[in-house]
Amino acid sequence: MLTYAFKRILWVIPVMIGVSLIVFSLMRVFSPDPAPIVLGQHATQEATDAWRAEKGLDEPVYVQYWTYLTGAVHGDLGVSYYSNTAVAHEIRARFPATIELAVAAIIFASLVGILLGVLAAVKKNSLFDAASMLVALVGISIPIFWLGIMMIMLFSGYLHLLPTGGRINVLLEPPKVTGFYLIDSLLAADWAAFKDALIHLILPALTLGMYSMAIITRMTRSTMLDTLNQDYIRTGRAKGISEVKVIGKHALRNSMIPVTTVIGLQFGALLGGALLTESVFAWPGIGKFTVDSILKSDFPMVQGIVLLIAVIFVLVNLAADLMYAFLDPRIKYGSKKSG
Amino acid sequence: MKRYGWLPALGLALVLGTGLLLAGCNSGTTTTTAPAVGGSTTESTAPPETGGNAANDTFTYAQGADPRGLDPALVDDGESSKVISNIYEGLLKYAADSTKVEPSLAESWQVSPDGLSYTFKLKQGVKFQDGTDFNAEAVKFNIDRQIPPKATADMSYGPFVYGSVKDVVVVDPSTVTINLTQKNTAFLANLAMSLAAPIVSPKALTDGSNSVMENPVGTGPYKFVKWNKGENVVLVRNDDYWGEKAKTKNVIFRIIPDNSARVLALNAGEVDMIDGIDATVVNTITQGGNKLFEAPGMNVNYMAYNTTTEMFKTVEARTALSQAINVEELVQSLYQGYSEKATTILPTFVPGYDATVKQVGYDPAAAKAGLAKAGITKVHMIAYSNPRPYNAATGATLAAAIQGYLQKVGVEATIDTFDWTTYKEKVKAGDFDIGFYGWIGDNGDPDNFLNLLADKDPTMNIARWQDPKYIADIKAALAMPNGPERDAAYGAMEKYVAERAVWLPISHAKTLAGYRPNVSGFIYHVTGNVFLSQAVKQ
Repeated sequence: MLTYAFKRILWVIPVMIGVSLIVFSLMRVFSPDPAPIVLGQHATQEATDAWRAEKGLDEPVYVQYWTYLTGAVHGDLGVSYYSNTAVAHEIRARFPATIELAVAAIIFASLVGILLGVLAAVKKNSLFDAASMLVALVGISIPIFWLGIMMIMLFSGYLHLLPTGGRINVLLEPPKVTGFYLIDSLLAADWAAFKDALIHLILPALTLGMYSMAIITRMTRSTMLDTLNQDYIRTGRAKGISEVKVIGKHALRNSMIPVTTVIGLQFGALLGGALLTESVFAWPGIGKFTVDSILKSDFPMVQGIVLLIAVIFVLVNLAADLMYAFLDPRIKYGSKKSG
Repeated sequence: MKRYGWLPALGLALVLGTGLLLAGCNSGTTTTTAPAVGGSTTESTAPPETGGNAANDTFTYAQGADPRGLDPALVDDGESSKVISNIYEGLLKYAADSTKVEPSLAESWQVSPDGLSYTFKLKQGVKFQDGTDFNAEAVKFNIDRQIPPKATADMSYGPFVYGSVKDVVVVDPSTVTINLTQKNTAFLANLAMSLAAPIVSPKALTDGSNSVMENPVGTGPYKFVKWNKGENVVLVRNDDYWGEKAKTKNVIFRIIPDNSARVLALNAGEVDMIDGIDATVVNTITQGGNKLFEAPGMNVNYMAYNTTTEMFKTVEARTALSQAINVEELVQSLYQGYSEKATTILPTFVPGYDATVKQVGYDPAAAKAGLAKAGITKVHMIAYSNPRPYNAATGATLAAAIQGYLQKVGVEATIDTFDWTTYKEKVKAGDFDIGFYGWIGDNGDPDNFLNLLADKDPTMNIARWQDPKYIADIKAALAMPNGPERDAAYGAMEKYVAERAVWLPISHAKTLAGYRPNVSGFIYHVTGNVFLSQAVKQ
């Protein structure tokens, strides 16, 4: 089991090399020259040449790549062209916001999605089933930015219940420890800050989680329907096991493998940042920042972010795979005996 | 089940650990520090969220993007500039409602008879926000770092502001002389700019590499507290400020990227003032009980002929095509009253503006005849796809509107549209008959606008027009002392360009901001900067 996990983690290395190679080449082939963007409208040719030389952009691409790779191996992701600050520092400043939002969104999506999916499957063809599937359909089709704006208009503009955006009222901001405001405010035992951070999280998490919730609902319903038709469910019922136990323990757990995969993939995608949700809710995460960095041809920044997202995807998928073993004792990783 | 009970925990730990892992990967080559949470933080965290007076003690300004950084030497964007204007000051500043130059950290100045030496008498007793003294040495330090040999390539505005500086001489602690290599009257206007010109604490600049980008220290009415990237920049009143103290204690620049969300935040009363407004949201803002701030903007939006092409190398051909375009109607329909029709290249409040200048007028019949005579039936236009500060409707929309006018006179126009950065490459390459561009003024001096047409660089002078008389006139006017004679020289140059139909000036975009009805006292300057020290909330 551990050997398996370790092997999978080792896979990160070739993935990183592959991804870095791809993003490195793509940025250099398709992005506009960063020099005019960085140096602005008064840049002279000498300044442009000097800057390109300083950043090594006048070297052959393979030399640039090698320099980048050796730096990255030593933990140096380089310095942003645009803001002149360390890439790792910039990512660190924004990534906690993305994680906080993604975790909140996936918790909402999983809880509501699984609940709706299970109930829809159990009450198949009922009104509730139809309603759940309608919710799921709407969740998949609704444009996120529109949903976000509507939520703000309703809950902030009309009902005045929730803030329009941001992570926290800055005057209540707890001292930075982890960068996660919910955790930091708990560490500081500051309930006002915790409450404020929480109410700021509600609308963005609902908006961002809506799509994942819809996917999870549909997936749960369909696998539950399959499972409920299995012989062992009928046997269980025939044995007189309570319906709650049949559904909650036997059916649900056996349906969870594909659902876990979906949750894992969705979570990985959410951790990559959410451009539209972040824009609408002024959420200072990595998604909007990535797009801005691409538009500014900020090569080191884009490379750093893409590498990070690639690692996250590998790890989240690994976590999902390991969850299978937990959900289904028949699945075992590694060759040793089953125990 | 028990066997693998630790698995979910491992999964979660892996995911969360990635962030920490990355956090651990500190760069070996840079020594960037996290935004300072200094002594003033506790001060600013004190007011509770809902207290009546506490809320009035915090002014929140929302803009669409993070500042690029807070070192005036290393940035070139409006978002940085707005924050910088409230933290730093320069030797000079602009009058509240024009680009006329006034004293700031310099009390007075004298120009030598040959026009090459500027001697500034500095205000005494002024301290930087880190407690160090502002004096002639500080001025020298700030200019020296932005001129050769110390200047670095990424100092966007250094060459513009200090390009004509030969050296800086400290006469005594409160007197400094700046020697120029050539006469340059615009130099005074440069010193009032919010980029490159503001004076930074030399101590802060030498303390650690690059820290000023994230920990600015100036002499201004507000001092820096913290910057949560992508979220907000927090300033607090500088109680030791030498001038009139700031009226509102806390100033927060909030970053709200989405235009509609920014308007909703204003309507909900979460922010006190917003920028980045276009005609489409004006009604929402006023219906929400807010006020609209509207002022002329220091910019120009224009169409340019590529004067190096066979097609448009003659004045007649350019004039004929310009006659086909009804600029007045175009500006009204595209910008709905939030841009003024341009009659000159210079905005009306810039010295040298001349109301008697006439551009080529709309005359479709004459256009048809002239174009037929010149044999023009097809033109190739290039345009940018995004909105620009001088053209909210995008270059592509403007080009399409002009395409419509040309169709009426029998000319078929093809439009190639590119994103802004690619567009600039295309402009540089020069493969076009007609291009669209604009200029955002830097220092409020007429030279800043009119020398574009004398520039050799095709990304500045996209018409690629090189007229020896015009170039000589630009050079002469730059050396003239400020006054009616210099203004008249620029008026004459405007006429000269208009007669030759090199550009078709389209419009000057107005500066728009929305603010809460209980807010007053802010200065939203024609340079696009906002000065909040005298802003109050009732």
